[in-house]
Amino acid sequence: MQPLANITPLKPAGAVEVRNVGQVFTTSTQDVVALDDVSLEVKPGRFVVLVGPSGCGKSTLLMMMAGLRQQTSGAVLINGAPIPKPDPNRVGVVFQEASLFPWLTAEENVEFPLALRGTPKAERRAKAQDALKLVGLDGFGKRHPHELSGGMKQRVSIARGLVQDPPVLLMDEPFAALDEQTRMTMGDELLRIWAATGKTVVFVTHSLTEAVYLADEVVVMSARPGRIVDRLTVSLPRPRTYDMLSGDVFGGLRDRIWRHIRKSA
Amino acid sequence: MSATTLRRLIVFSLIILWEGLPRTGLIPELFLPSLSSTLIAGWNEAGEYGHALAVTLYEVAVSMVFACGLGILAGAVVGSLPRPRVLIMPMVSSLYAVPLVILYPVFTVWLGIGSESKIAFASIYGFLPTMLSTAAGIQTIDPQLLLAARSMGATLSQRLVRVIIPAAIPTVLSGLRVGGALVIVGVVVSEMLISSAGIGYLISRYRTILDSPHVFAGVLLVLAMTVAFSAALRWIEQKASIWQTGMRGGLAENRSVRPAALQPTA
Repeated sequence: MQPLANITPLKPAGAVEVRNVGQVFTTSTQDVVALDDVSLEVKPGRFVVLVGPSGCGKSTLLMMMAGLRQQTSGAVLINGAPIPKPDPNRVGVVFQEASLFPWLTAEENVEFPLALRGTPKAERRAKAQDALKLVGLDGFGKRHPHELSGGMKQRVSIARGLVQDPPVLLMDEPFAALDEQTRMTMGDELLRIWAATGKTVVFVTHSLTEAVYLADEVVVMSARPGRIVDRLTVSLPRPRTYDMLSGDVFGGLRDRIWRHIRKSA
Repeated sequence: MSATTLRRLIVFSLIILWEGLPRTGLIPELFLPSLSSTLIAGWNEAGEYGHALAVTLYEVAVSMVFACGLGILAGAVVGSLPRPRVLIMPMVSSLYAVPLVILYPVFTVWLGIGSESKIAFASIYGFLPTMLSTAAGIQTIDPQLLLAARSMGATLSQRLVRVIIPAAIPTVLSGLRVGGALVIVGVVVSEMLISSAGIGYLISRYRTILDSPHVFAGVLLVLAMTVAFSAALRWIEQKASIWQTGMRGGLAENRSVRPAALQPTA
């Protein structure tokens, strides 16, 4: 089955490269170093999760990859090219729950980035239908966000992030506002969508379990100034299953991340 | 019994009481003339009331344009730019508590006792709440929505048209509801104070000669005006496809909250 028939040709997954990036916030009293010499390479098609204590700059780093924020020094490259401003053809972004437009239907929300570019109505609709089908929301297109559950809203956000078939998908704590059961289900759903589309995913979270469960690789950052303190390869086979959560491999990885975070918090 | 039927029943009973109580003599006709005598009084002086209504409607319409147009414009500017907000908002908010009607005599000195002074007074009276709620509406827009729009490549003007304006519509409309009602109050009150025309003037004049039926005929006209205004605003709300939770334009006929369909059906 071609998952995104109307979004063809599927662009190949993209590479993300972060080279010696620094970020300094200037306030009236002092300069705050948010990120200090951060380097990171994400190979095409990989699922990489950023974790770290609050204020470690992981979201800031993600915003740089999205072109929503510019670094003070260093370079952020998507497929080898810098990203001076947001470009939904190269990078899709999924935020926390609150980012759907409440006055638009699910369908119209997914079409939004296409409408900005003046894509014809019929083509827009077809692409939105495909994206909604991909995230398992076939038949929910006419609902407004307030008529959808938290998990369904996040599916719409993912569909919106994918509708322009970007090579890279960035996710900023997308499941943070969901209850734990929904969160587990959405994790599995995301892995299914990722497997179907083969995108490169960079995912920010506070949850260590979520990080290990989803990732090919977990990148651990320290508190301010944000630095990368460890990179763990998660060797667990795919598809990931619930049983793995209680295994030794999983526990060992999660403990290792926790020790880093406790040290720097 | 549904809420609508109950509401109609209440209105109907009030009308019956209005007719019945004065007729049975429980309430003297001087305090409350019966509905029929009020209507007859209005009908007999239809020309006079028609002319007064035209004057009042004209004043209300012009004031509405000033109050709401300038109110929304000023509110949008003040709400979206931090510097004017810090500068102006505290002043406007405290000004809001001043009973502006004390200024009306000054307006008559500047602008005379014709329509101009009423329009000026009612415009300022309705301007403040419209501006305040528009500014609040713009300020309370979720920054996440703007960030999301930006991440999808929305330009500044696209963010204004596709995010800021639709997000602000509910608050702006509720501001118009308050502002518009105050415009009507402003016009009628200023007509009652110092004037030579309009419904407020008629009410005031008939009151001085203790002609209750004619006073109440004027009151009925003002009532009709506010009901019409309210209906017009509801119509605008539906046209603007208002998106408040649990309610949506076109479906807003039943104004009670619709249970959100959370269960997947497909």
